[in-house]
Amino acid sequence: MSKIKQLSVFMENKKGELSDVMTLLSQNNVSIKSINLVDSADFGILKLIVDDEQKTKHILDDAGFSVKITDVFAVAIDDHVGSFHEVVSVLSQNDINIEYTYTVNNGQNGAFVFKVDAGDFQKATEALSKAGVQLLQKI
Amino acid sequence: MIWNKIESSPRETIEQLQLSRLKDTVQRVYALTPFYRHKFEQTGIKPEDIASLKDIKKLPFTTKKDLRAHYPFGLFTVPMSEVVRIHSSSGTTGKPTVVGYTRSDMEVWDEVMARVFTMAGTTAEDIVHNGYGYGLFTGGLGMHNGAQKVGATIVPASSGFTERQLMLMKDFGATILAVTPSFALHMAEVAKKAGPDYLKDYKLKAGIFGAEPTSKGLKEEVSKAWGIDYHEVYGLSEIIGPGVACSCKKSDLLHVFEDHFFVEIIDPATGEEVPEGQRGELVITPLTKQALPLLRYRTGDITSITKEPCRCGRTMLRMESIVGRTDDMLIIGGVNVYPSQIEHVISNAYGVTLNYQIIADKKGYLDKLEIHIEVSDEIVCDNVAQMENIKKSIQAALLSNLYINATVRLVEPRSIERSMGKAVRIIDKRKSDE
Repeated sequence: MSKIKQLSVFMENKKGELSDVMTLLSQNNVSIKSINLVDSADFGILKLIVDDEQKTKHILDDAGFSVKITDVFAVAIDDHVGSFHEVVSVLSQNDINIEYTYTVNNGQNGAFVFKVDAGDFQKATEALSKAGVQLLQKI
Repeated sequence: MIWNKIESSPRETIEQLQLSRLKDTVQRVYALTPFYRHKFEQTGIKPEDIASLKDIKKLPFTTKKDLRAHYPFGLFTVPMSEVVRIHSSSGTTGKPTVVGYTRSDMEVWDEVMARVFTMAGTTAEDIVHNGYGYGLFTGGLGMHNGAQKVGATIVPASSGFTERQLMLMKDFGATILAVTPSFALHMAEVAKKAGPDYLKDYKLKAGIFGAEPTSKGLKEEVSKAWGIDYHEVYGLSEIIGPGVACSCKKSDLLHVFEDHFFVEIIDPATGEEVPEGQRGELVITPLTKQALPLLRYRTGDITSITKEPCRCGRTMLRMESIVGRTDDMLIIGGVNVYPSQIEHVISNAYGVTLNYQIIADKKGYLDKLEIHIEVSDEIVCDNVAQMENIKKSIQAALLSNLYINATVRLVEPRSIERSMGKAVRIIDKRKSDE
């Protein structure tokens, strides 16, 4: 299975907020594999991929954050012109809507993380595998 | 179940009783309260001028200010040897208002509260968990006495200590819950931590909720969170405490115990009576009070009344749930808004809770309204654009339903301060500039 569990955390845009979350996670020995933050004027959603998502969710829940675990998939970045386009076109040919995507560093290499509608998840990963795109088992 | 047959008697019988009791009350205050005698003399009114219920319009109003001006016992009509109980309001703005009860006042209070408990289906078989605060506040002891009168088993838990209260409710098998609606919701939030099937541990069938204005959405939320019938009780210490009115099983409207309380709805600006069904300020004249009889007490609560018969069989008129207070009505850019109307809009939104705070301010000469709303414990979507849409749809609903331009701000769960007793939902920064 190429399902990767991502934590999404609702955060208000206020001073020290991100630092508070990071302090909490490091004190609890959570190893963070990737961080992505998208924000609007007054709030943002922090997306984290960690070593133990259930434990991390409990920690954040107890600290009063609004948290959700989402299934995403990741593909390895092949460093040549048009590599992202190849992946996206497989999805679009299969009529799959991408809710959001971002890149992460994965050791020496990078990866694209994709979130699609839960109902399209299996269809998307199968289409990509068939097209020869390498799906990562973990980040 | 109906506690007293007067509750379902023909209206003529009730009105006859009201008239004779009103006449007694007027005689009593004229003879015993210098404050009222003086007012009667000023306007040239004599007790004999009250020949029908309509004549009540000739009587002067009483306000909270009058009670404060006679702090503490100035309006009592009996010697302290006959007063068996004192209660008082919280007095967050200045001196508290103090009320007293004779033995017969206590009997009236027990009686009307027994009617409330009976409306909620309470019998001697029931276990009543009473989470209203015991003390000077009338909530705790008022509920206590009513539950005792119907012979139920009372657990006098008082307020606070949520976890402990939940444990007692489970272990004792409480069937009736009596608390403020905001505390009931807070209790449910904590109870839900036990897992999705938390309700299996509880035996609750009905709840009696009051002491704060509550929107339909919040009532539904409480009712759903606990899987119970929602009965709303209304009252205020100046009149008696809880037990002026309560909603039955058949209707959301609250039956007023008219044989003890005469109600009118007036235009708060002019003091004139408004037509039946129209909203205005609730004015109450207690008809049987001994220690502290008041004439036409202006409650400051906004509601409407109807004399339409109710399917439950009671004939006593019904009032709608309090829409707001004459003093917490917000005027935003010339539009009148009650916080309960805003709450109703929030209750229809997706992905947010009913924990909110309304902040009114001025930007230059213009009114500015900001509403902070806590998102649900598990965010409904992790897409910023979709979350922005939730916020925008609430703003659009506020504009189209209430004609107000408000900025909604989504905030983290439990970031707005919680209250154990009454919820403080409004911060009006414009007032401090006056």
